[in-house]
Amino acid sequence: MQLKMWVLTGAAVVLWLAPLVALDKRIGWHKSMQGLSLCAAIASAIGGGNIARKLADEAEIEALKLRAIKADVEDEIATEVYVSQAQRQQEVEEILASPGVGVEEARERLEVIYSNDLQSSAITTTSEADARDLELWWKVSAAEVEGKSPTWIIENILNMKGRKFTEGKARLADLQKKFGES
Amino acid sequence: MRAASLTNYFVAGCAASSLLGWIASLHPMSFRAIAFLAAASFILWGLCWLLDFSVSSWLKIPVATLQALLVAVLAMGIIGAGVLLCS
Repeated sequence: MQLKMWVLTGAAVVLWLAPLVALDKRIGWHKSMQGLSLCAAIASAIGGGNIARKLADEAEIEALKLRAIKADVEDEIATEVYVSQAQRQQEVEEILASPGVGVEEARERLEVIYSNDLQSSAITTTSEADARDLELWWKVSAAEVEGKSPTWIIENILNMKGRKFTEGKARLADLQKKFGES
Repeated sequence: MRAASLTNYFVAGCAASSLLGWIASLHPMSFRAIAFLAAASFILWGLCWLLDFSVSSWLKIPVATLQALLVAVLAMGIIGAGVLLCS
């Protein structure tokens, strides 16, 4: 598509300038050729312009899609963090407010919550990695829908070119195994 | 890509003004018709330039865009006619 656009652009410039410079105005058929080539130049330029505009619009839509996917992932992570924080806060408030529970017992329960916090921070790290994988998988699946080849996906989305290509192949297979079957 | 599309439309405009010049060179009558068209277009161009704020609100485009469009149209006319006359 892009090649067609550039060919049309070149053809438009050549068809506009070459006959005017090369042909003689006084010879009848030369003059007719000039008129014809000018019409062809206008048609080529408009065709090329339309293709370029279409390509520019497509690129803008792609950028918007990518931004929407990123925003979705960020939103999901933020919601998860907020919910877990609220849940922990509620648990702590319940323990502190509960009547008839001894100070020692409350301390033990808080200790349990804090030790769970330490564990959950490890889980959060894992879930962040998962979110990154999920974001990557969305980009990969969007590219697959567009009909991009696995080589293109590995080189442009996973950014693993040259020596890292084999590693990228394994990463793609891993992502497909992780999210593709679900 | 946006620049390529604008360049293409600009070349189309230049070629169109060359074509008008070519039509004008065919016959004295067509020359008069094209000269009248050119004069009318130039008057319209000048009015648009003077009344840019009113015209831009009428066309619902920013003033800067209208001015860019007017300058581009003038450049297309000058380049197209210039190429035809110098060839």
